[in-house]
Amino acid sequence: MAARLSVARTARQLTSSAVRRPPSFVPATCQRWQQAPLERRLFSVSAAVKEKKYTEDHEWIELSSDGKTCTLGISDYAAKALGDVVYIELPQIDMDISAGDTIGAVESVKSASDILTPIGGKVTEVNSQLEAKPGSINADPEGEGWIAKLEVAGEPEGKLMSKDEYTAFTEDA
Amino acid sequence: MAPSRGLHHLLYILNPQIALRNTRRTFSSFTETLANPTKKVQTYISRSTNPFLNLSIEDHILRTSSPSSVILFLYTNAPCVVIGRNQNPWLEVNLPILRPCPPKAQKSTGIEIGIEQPGLGPISLVRRRSGGGTVFHDKGNVNWSVTSPRVAFTRDKHAEMVVRALRKLGVGRARVNERHDIVLDQGKRGRDIDAMDTHRTPYMDETGEEMRKPLKVSGSAYKLTRGRALHHGTALLASPNLDVIPQYLHSPGKPFINAKGVESVSSPVGNIGLDTSVFQKQVSEQFAAMYGSGNERVPVQMVGEEHLYIPEIKKGYDELRTADWVYSQTPGFTVTNEISQDTHYNEKSRLASKIQTPDFQISMAVRHGVIKDCKIEETRVPIGELEAFQASLLEQKLQDIQDWPAFLHSKTSCESKELAAIAKWLGKILYTPEIPRD
Repeated sequence: MAARLSVARTARQLTSSAVRRPPSFVPATCQRWQQAPLERRLFSVSAAVKEKKYTEDHEWIELSSDGKTCTLGISDYAAKALGDVVYIELPQIDMDISAGDTIGAVESVKSASDILTPIGGKVTEVNSQLEAKPGSINADPEGEGWIAKLEVAGEPEGKLMSKDEYTAFTEDA
Repeated sequence: MAPSRGLHHLLYILNPQIALRNTRRTFSSFTETLANPTKKVQTYISRSTNPFLNLSIEDHILRTSSPSSVILFLYTNAPCVVIGRNQNPWLEVNLPILRPCPPKAQKSTGIEIGIEQPGLGPISLVRRRSGGGTVFHDKGNVNWSVTSPRVAFTRDKHAEMVVRALRKLGVGRARVNERHDIVLDQGKRGRDIDAMDTHRTPYMDETGEEMRKPLKVSGSAYKLTRGRALHHGTALLASPNLDVIPQYLHSPGKPFINAKGVESVSSPVGNIGLDTSVFQKQVSEQFAAMYGSGNERVPVQMVGEEHLYIPEIKKGYDELRTADWVYSQTPGFTVTNEISQDTHYNEKSRLASKIQTPDFQISMAVRHGVIKDCKIEETRVPIGELEAFQASLLEQKLQDIQDWPAFLHSKTSCESKELAAIAKWLGKILYTPEIPRD
């Protein structure tokens, strides 16, 4: 996880600075292996608004490049704090939700917690793999362990933080 | 407390309007006190033994208390079976014995419980909001609950607080185990250990010839919200029902249910042997010692039935008492005649079950308490009848079927006795007692 994030960060720096720097600065081989993450994360690189954002409840959302849909999940920090997840309740597809609503629930080590959404809309897709293997959310909460995709309606509500702001927030806590 | 209740009662007789207004004011102050950021440490004890009310008051504390406060809440419930937030009542609870019904009705539904009915009378089935497994509550328990900021929270710290209270009362065998439960070690007294260590006792008997399993005397369950953590447990002080509790917690349908969600881990239990008030007092003192500042006293405040005047508590109370909450909040599961591969559903539990493995094939999927899919194969039943029955089950809420044979007859005109046997078998596994509206 950490490795992929740092790749994304390096990629972001490159797109903005590569123009000014002599091409020889970046070895050709390096550029090639950056191709894959760059393609997948192009939107979060090009537009600051669409980078992954975090809530104070430890959920993350990531808007698609056209801003019409978003993916939602729980943060690495939350997954670690929860411990081994044994059950995940996913929202129902086509369910209309408002910002601040509960869209799911997890249970870990005798603890029940709700998953809230900071943005309203309609649920278009859920990660059904989590139902069969709830523990997989612990392995990659901000990637493969996403929870739901929404067709966005309206603006997000409440405080949303960038990765750096969120890291500072969890460290303060 | 008694004099003010008496006065209130008198007022009510003289002028119900005034009394109601005053009552509302008094109880809205409960919410205000909880939310008051200057009252960092608060203790409440409930006079009510209504599990739905006590859980709703507890939830109200979790939702409204000031973010930095720490609140202790102690209560005792009338006999009830409490399942965890993400559990399956058909799997965890012997539902047919909760509400004894007349033998005649038993016969028609195929639920023949006969003489095994323990004489405890009607027992409520409750789904709480916190995680964890199923517990039996009665007057011999004290439920302890601590709501605190999530930041400084650990899963052990309040179980440790209760262990300190127990040791202060002379229960030297008490400790917190690796499952965050409180157990009493059963070994012979061995080497002395650090008296402050709440995770070890001199009675742990690691070397003894006869390893006697520690007895569980309190569990732990948690509900986590934004910034807040609720930790509660049920301390077994002097339950008169230890011998019948297993009957309530063993579901006859268990071998035929394959469920997602959380399964209970059963443990041998024991009574601590303490009086309710002594335990309440000591836990309150340990709580004050843990969180109180200096010599400042933490007053114990009483709550009770009158708190139903608080709309948020009433709302939570009403929700907990709906069949939708108790039954439809169950994680997805399937009913099948094929014994699950899962080790929990071993041959032993199948043999122990009163329900025979049928000679027909069945696979029924239930989601949110609603039958989403049902495939039955039984060659002796005319295919048309079988299909009519299967079709009538689709999208059917389990909580709406009280009597399976009657349901079969109301939906189909079939006369096949094999089909009637299928309905009867399903009725034994999916018996869903009505939630009383009292």
